[in-house]
Amino acid sequence: MKKTIIIRVCEIFLKGKNRFYFLNLLEEHIKKALDGFTFNFTKLQMRYLIDGFDDFDYEAIIEKLKKVCGIHTISPAYSVESDYEKIKECAIPMCEDWSGTFKVETNRADKTFSIPSVELSRQIGGDILSVYGKNLQVDVKKPQNTLRIDIRENGTTLIYTEVIKGVGGMPIGSSGHGFLMLSGGIDSPVAGYMMAKRGMKLSSVHFHSYPYTGEAAKEKVITLGKLVSEYSAGMTLYVVKFTKIQEAIHERCAEDLMITMMRRFMMRITERLALKYGGQSIITGESLGQVASQTMESITSSNSVVEMPVFRPLIAFDKLETIEIAERIGTYETSILPYEDCCTVFLPKYPAIKPKMERILKEESRLDVESLIDEALSNVEIIRL
Amino acid sequence: MIYLDNAATTKPLQSAVKNYENLLTDCFFNPSSTYGGGIETKKIIERSREKILKLFPANYEVIFTAGGTEADNTAIFNYSKRGNIVTSKGEHSAVFESFNELKKRGLEVRFANLNEDGSVNKQSLLSLIDDKTTFVSIVHVNNETGAINDINDLSKSVKKKNSSVVFHSDGVQAFGKIPYSICDSVDMYSISAHKIGGLKGTGALIKKKRLTISPYIFGGGQENGMRSGTENVFGISIFGDVAKLHYENIRQNYQEVKKLKQLFVDNLDRENVRILSGNNSSPYVLSLSAEGLKGEVIMHMLEDFGVIIGTGSACSSRHRHSRILKECGYRDSVLDGALRVSFIDGITPDEVIFACEKLNECVKKLKGIMG
Repeated sequence: MKKTIIIRVCEIFLKGKNRFYFLNLLEEHIKKALDGFTFNFTKLQMRYLIDGFDDFDYEAIIEKLKKVCGIHTISPAYSVESDYEKIKECAIPMCEDWSGTFKVETNRADKTFSIPSVELSRQIGGDILSVYGKNLQVDVKKPQNTLRIDIRENGTTLIYTEVIKGVGGMPIGSSGHGFLMLSGGIDSPVAGYMMAKRGMKLSSVHFHSYPYTGEAAKEKVITLGKLVSEYSAGMTLYVVKFTKIQEAIHERCAEDLMITMMRRFMMRITERLALKYGGQSIITGESLGQVASQTMESITSSNSVVEMPVFRPLIAFDKLETIEIAERIGTYETSILPYEDCCTVFLPKYPAIKPKMERILKEESRLDVESLIDEALSNVEIIRL
Repeated sequence: MIYLDNAATTKPLQSAVKNYENLLTDCFFNPSSTYGGGIETKKIIERSREKILKLFPANYEVIFTAGGTEADNTAIFNYSKRGNIVTSKGEHSAVFESFNELKKRGLEVRFANLNEDGSVNKQSLLSLIDDKTTFVSIVHVNNETGAINDINDLSKSVKKKNSSVVFHSDGVQAFGKIPYSICDSVDMYSISAHKIGGLKGTGALIKKKRLTISPYIFGGGQENGMRSGTENVFGISIFGDVAKLHYENIRQNYQEVKKLKQLFVDNLDRENVRILSGNNSSPYVLSLSAEGLKGEVIMHMLEDFGVIIGTGSACSSRHRHSRILKECGYRDSVLDGALRVSFIDGITPDEVIFACEKLNECVKKLKGIMG
């Protein structure tokens, strides 16, 4: 009896001739996620098996797999010789903590195994009842607990009770390379996670405006980036010094357009970094109408300065929906740490909610946009997460 | 660097650290061991204990802990078991959160109001004491505003209302800084080494000998069974020396630091920066607010000039606004701009003037942006 982990893939099965490209990519990411562990990796039909690891790494490996995009479900299992007594011996202790109703489900890929599926389920079910009959009853329609027996063609049987949901989606790298605008807030890490889930390789850009934001705020963004990078199979964070641009806008442009102008600079710089480092798109955490810079007009204004596609996976999300995901992926607690955000210091009393393009261009003409951008790009800190 | 965040921590006193460097190389033995090296190490701890004990009357004893927070927790959780317990809204989080935890566990917990300067309102405190009160904890010097509570007077008044109360005080910001003699009605007093040039991870609970402590850290029975765990010999040995040094010069230092604080106040741009500390506050702490601006931004701007100040309690920096200043009744715009400048002896007047001028400059610049 040895511990084994079953991994099932997500919608890759929908793919036609490209299927192996996706599967190979996923395999690569699983192995990368488990770098540092000792394990054996076995490919099956749309499934993988992992075994041969040290027992004390079992939980840690499962935790890592829970963050690999493209994995549909994970089952911690035991692998035993396909023999009735061995199966029984393994199955019974697995049900020790159960109460209420249960059923046994058998899948018999090895048709040479002497006991048919239904019969084996019935017999093992009977064995379980003979030990824990006081706490358990059989219910084959809506059981509270299920023991699954998978008799494989190679003479081994997998037995498991738990099916853990994975991230789902597609393997990283199968959907291009996006540059995430990563602030210290709740939304952008979630936006990054959602695009990673769809198989997008991520890089991220943070605009740091020391002294208006401190080192603690930057460290917070690095922590958030690391949390997102656990899902995106690594990530590079580009930290752009933004202070001079903010001060220039503040000095020369209309106060109510401060945020509009800042967003336009941020989009331009992100696009330039993406072009330089192999990105094909920009990702933002914008949600329609959430704040002044996320109205239709403001988004139109910031969108108009770039040519790359801009993905806004949260555009139709309510804040609470975003928070729910942030909590699930573990970024929420970091996002709410109270360090100053670069926007709060320069926040105008009455920001333009529906900025007019003509006015924006007129105000922007007071700035040497290109040289400000060039200067910011000449001093970018690159952090591999 | 001009370091003016000494209420958060102080730079370890190099002369004291040097005296004990051999503990890290030669005399590294476990003080519980009975061979020569172990006994010698134990003696070092006991010598340090004696130095601290000399600062208190003979009926008190010292339990070394891993800091002020543990000392507070030891006192609070030992003597808060029944009836009601009372503290103030101006406590350091080590006390405040312990009381909140006890509230969660079902004990009746009462919080006394503060005066505008952060000191405890005596009338409010006394109104909370009744015959069921078993434990009271009042901070000696408020860590954010520097307000000094007359804990001898408060403890006497509390005990007049109920003589069976056990009275504790968190003396972390006062010990070695404020000239003070503990009176008999203060039963327990928490102190910390790193606020007076000692090392982090070293503190002590000073307690009356007759009060028994049930340990919540069990093990080898160190500290007379009250706090198990191999002692932090290096930290404890330095603690004794820095405590002794600070008490030898306590009045002189107090006057020196008072002058530094006054110098800072005299140079401050009072049009843009408001003083929150009261007139009788500790000279070691000056609470300010650049109202309407962001304290954190000013702190970072000053850092660029090599001037280090705080925005409030370093132990509460995960919260946007200071809980204590809020309890003093200040509005959000004051809380946003809150700053804490905290002094120690040895800082020069030139450094104080430079720091203050830079603060004025930064506030003015930020006002241009945010004002």
